[in-house]
Amino acid sequence: MAIFNLSSEQETSEEEDDKETNDDDEVRPECLSPEELEKLKEAVEEKKKLIQSLKGKPWPMKKKLVTLRESQEFVEKYEGALGKGKGRKLYAYKVMMTKKWVKFQRDFENFKTACIPWEMKIKEIESHFGSSVASYFIFLRWMYGINMILFGLTFGLVMVPEALMGRPYGSIPRKTVPRAEEASAMDFAVLWDFKGYAQYSVLFYGFYNNQRAVGWLKFRMPLSYFLVGVGTVAYSYMVVIRTMARNANESGIGDDNSFNFSWKMFTSWDYLIGNPETADNKFASITTSFKEAILEEQESRKDDNIHLTRFLRVLANFLVLCCLAGSGYLIYFVVRRSQKFTLEGLENHTWWERNEVNMVMSLLGMFCPMLFDVISTLENYHPRVALQWQLGRIFALFLGNLYTFIIALMDEINLKRKEETIVKFNITTWETSLYNSSMSGNVTAPPVTIHPADVPRGPCWETMVGQEFVRLIISDTMTTYITLLIGDFLRAVLVRFLNYCWCWDLEAGFPSYSEFDVSGNVLGLIFNQGMIWMGSFYAPCLPALNVLRLHVSMYLQCWAVMCCNVPQERVFKASGSNNFYMAMLLVILFLSTLPAIYTIVTIPPSFDCGPFSGKNRMFDVIQETLESDFPAWFSKVFSYASNPGLVLPFILLMVLAIYYLQSTSKSYKEANVELKKKLQMQNEENKKKNKQAALKAQMDLEEARKAATQAAEHRRNNNASFQSQEGEIHNSYSIIIPILILQQQQQQLLLLLLKVEENHGRNDRNHNGRYGCSSAGGSASQPSVRGPISRCYSNRGNSQYLPGLSQQTNPRIYRTPSLQSH
Amino acid sequence: MVSPAIALAFLPLVLTLIIRYRHYFVLFYRAVLVRIWKDCATGLSREERVYQYVLTHSTPGDPDSILEAFDFWCSKVEYISNIGPKKGKILDRLLMEQSPLTVLELGSHCGYSTIRIARALPLGARLYSIEMDQRNAAIAEKIIRLAGFDDDTVELIVKPSDEVIPQMRSNYGLERLDFVFMDHWKKCYLPDLQLLEECGLLGKGSMILADNVLFPGAPKFLRYLRKCGLYEWKIHRATLEYSRGIRDGMAELVYQGIK
Repeated sequence: MAIFNLSSEQETSEEEDDKETNDDDEVRPECLSPEELEKLKEAVEEKKKLIQSLKGKPWPMKKKLVTLRESQEFVEKYEGALGKGKGRKLYAYKVMMTKKWVKFQRDFENFKTACIPWEMKIKEIESHFGSSVASYFIFLRWMYGINMILFGLTFGLVMVPEALMGRPYGSIPRKTVPRAEEASAMDFAVLWDFKGYAQYSVLFYGFYNNQRAVGWLKFRMPLSYFLVGVGTVAYSYMVVIRTMARNANESGIGDDNSFNFSWKMFTSWDYLIGNPETADNKFASITTSFKEAILEEQESRKDDNIHLTRFLRVLANFLVLCCLAGSGYLIYFVVRRSQKFTLEGLENHTWWERNEVNMVMSLLGMFCPMLFDVISTLENYHPRVALQWQLGRIFALFLGNLYTFIIALMDEINLKRKEETIVKFNITTWETSLYNSSMSGNVTAPPVTIHPADVPRGPCWETMVGQEFVRLIISDTMTTYITLLIGDFLRAVLVRFLNYCWCWDLEAGFPSYSEFDVSGNVLGLIFNQGMIWMGSFYAPCLPALNVLRLHVSMYLQCWAVMCCNVPQERVFKASGSNNFYMAMLLVILFLSTLPAIYTIVTIPPSFDCGPFSGKNRMFDVIQETLESDFPAWFSKVFSYASNPGLVLPFILLMVLAIYYLQSTSKSYKEANVELKKKLQMQNEENKKKNKQAALKAQMDLEEARKAATQAAEHRRNNNASFQSQEGEIHNSYSIIIPILILQQQQQQLLLLLLKVEENHGRNDRNHNGRYGCSSAGGSASQPSVRGPISRCYSNRGNSQYLPGLSQQTNPRIYRTPSLQSH
Repeated sequence: MVSPAIALAFLPLVLTLIIRYRHYFVLFYRAVLVRIWKDCATGLSREERVYQYVLTHSTPGDPDSILEAFDFWCSKVEYISNIGPKKGKILDRLLMEQSPLTVLELGSHCGYSTIRIARALPLGARLYSIEMDQRNAAIAEKIIRLAGFDDDTVELIVKPSDEVIPQMRSNYGLERLDFVFMDHWKKCYLPDLQLLEECGLLGKGSMILADNVLFPGAPKFLRYLRKCGLYEWKIHRATLEYSRGIRDGMAELVYQGIK
């Protein structure tokens, strides 16, 4: 089959080349007869087909290129010239339009790529540092997208309406800076701490009024606030889970264990690398991985050093645990101390002491991963596994830090609430005294107007929580950037320029340039996001801040990576790690919504600040809306639906459905594995069969060849006629011909060929007997185009295969029996 | 005033640095601190101390035992940057394969590598060893003679390498060097190599072996090798002598000539 296909196309192309050269000087499309035009059209079609199928041809590259160029030229030349009169114009127009359309599509693709933000930057980094570093940037970009949407929700539905339609600044106490703070409210140090004017603005929870509807739109502010808070979290859950599901589909079924060396052999190169240094590193890492794999294979047979490795791994984990415990205790200690400071009054302490918690958390979050990294060299894992361990450890560290922080916050909330009850009592006494004084003074006098700045107010724990989170984010961002500048940039500058006058090679040896720390950066990003999710209910400005931060860090880190980092020594592909990041993000999302939901559900909101003031619980706003904004039947239905008697069965049903789906997917997976095994078995069987059949075919062929030589000798001896010889040879090769006949699918092509041939025959001008059928065969086949195809086929087969048989058929004939068996 | 908690948060960083660069700290201690202390305590230079030790702990006339005594002293007592036993094996192998007749050594220091090379040379080969420092050269001379190599085999030249190389042809009647071993100042690797090229002392197939190209390192030398295309070269990766964790390498160059 292969040979037939190939040779025929080869010849057609040759023939057409030939024709083209002839056409050049003779043929003008204007003076062609309809048949010629038809022929030309077909030739053009043929060329197009050839261009399309060129990739799959088993030719050398040079020939492919030459053929491609020639056929493209041909098509270019004659495509527009086809058709006649009006039709030709239309045709030319159509061709032009298709070309334009194709070009437009290509441009549009380019445009789409250009529209993906930072795509080129990331690609460049990928080419320099391999895909593991690029995966971080892709993750960063994805995060940026999500934060844009969160930002849009909070900004558009909460902050802008309140700023435009709500009461202006200074109208009520919660929107005014208290008298005691007024003097310093605009100082930079105060604003930097998000106090003063920053605290009494739309940035924080406390500024919002509990007015049910604001502005001429009757915008339901508290409801919107609550729904946006819930909606951002729900949206994040949805996006993360959807991405995870998609990634899980993509990752497919990789069994890394069964063909270890084959995988290494054929899949270890990272084709996106475009930097010689990285390529060198990759090359070295592949070689070492081969060496290691061979060693491992040997060791798995020997199995003696495993105890040492196990011991070292246990030891490493023990050290890491010690480190985690130490850092946890340090944070606990600092938090306790800061509580003591707050009780004593913050003004008596230095800036260092006031920002101790944030500083310590940032520093620990920065330095402990380094220590883990050093410890993990004990374990001797593959870098991908090591990266996952590292991620897990840093995850534990960050989680511990975050939760210590939250617990401290909870304590502070309780303190504030105690304070609140006292303030509440004071305010009532203050109000009564005010009332009494006004009453006692003059009955007819207008009620005393008190400036809102002078009204005493509660501590508003929600704003305090929001402020804490904002401060944490800011200090975290600052630490990241400063580390980047000092640890990467300054180091790179020192190494680069001190190297001219230093006694050893700084670049290759001791300090060297830094590598990009994928795991630490990814986790920093994830935890940052967790804090956003946790705090954005109490500080609507957080998503905006985060968008800003991500935007800046995209540029800054891209620059820093390209400018001051070197490719990792062991470059590895990170194709599988994306879902790992996602899983961690999901866990963090869950863990960060937990405290937020806890505070929303269990702690009553402050009495004099925020959109929910005066309510018993924050979610009461939904009930209120249901009662006042919806018809009565709706709230009735809702109350029925929220009945535990209905909810519990529903949840049960959901659990059952999940269980069912999971079990079916498991069974599908098993079936897949079974099928795979079956395929493998069949393949092996086929291989065996093929081998046998090939052997047999070879033997037959040998016999046939012998017979042929005998026949030839016979002919020479007897001087027999040409006809009889052909017949004999035909007989002797009848073994092959069935094989050829088998390819009934090829009939199409054959018919086409014959048609072309026929045209060719009719069109005597260019006929030079180059076709597959010899001139005799061609003339024989000409009248019988509609006759039985097999005859002509065998003719062709004969005339074509006979001369080249000994070289050509041998290798190809191996494949045919397998076709037969199927 | 920085609070103690913040200072404590820097502890992981300090630990990390100490663990990661422990080999360098150990090397600094052994090569610098111990040396200064011993210099003050004994009043002798490091090279004189090692000579005393070798003299008392080895068999005269037996290069192997002298090398062993050197290795022991450098790894257990004090530190001298000789080529060391591990990289020395590579050197031995290359010499065996090459069996050069004229060998140039730049920087003989105490004579360790000189003995190492002389031991592996074929009969009738001649080794020119260049040492700039007068006192080191005196000790190297003594040690070489102690190992039993006479003037015909090893010739010690006490001059800076950039003075000696241009005169090699006229003063020593050399046409071509088969093997060059570089272990002197890392900054001089490149100028000396270029000098060798200029004087035409390298023929096709001449081998040059440069020690310590990664640590302390000779970046300009390596850059030149990458660019010039005169050599077929590779780096034998190993660790620094008498130390396990510091990576180092020897560059092996084979002169191809101008094509």
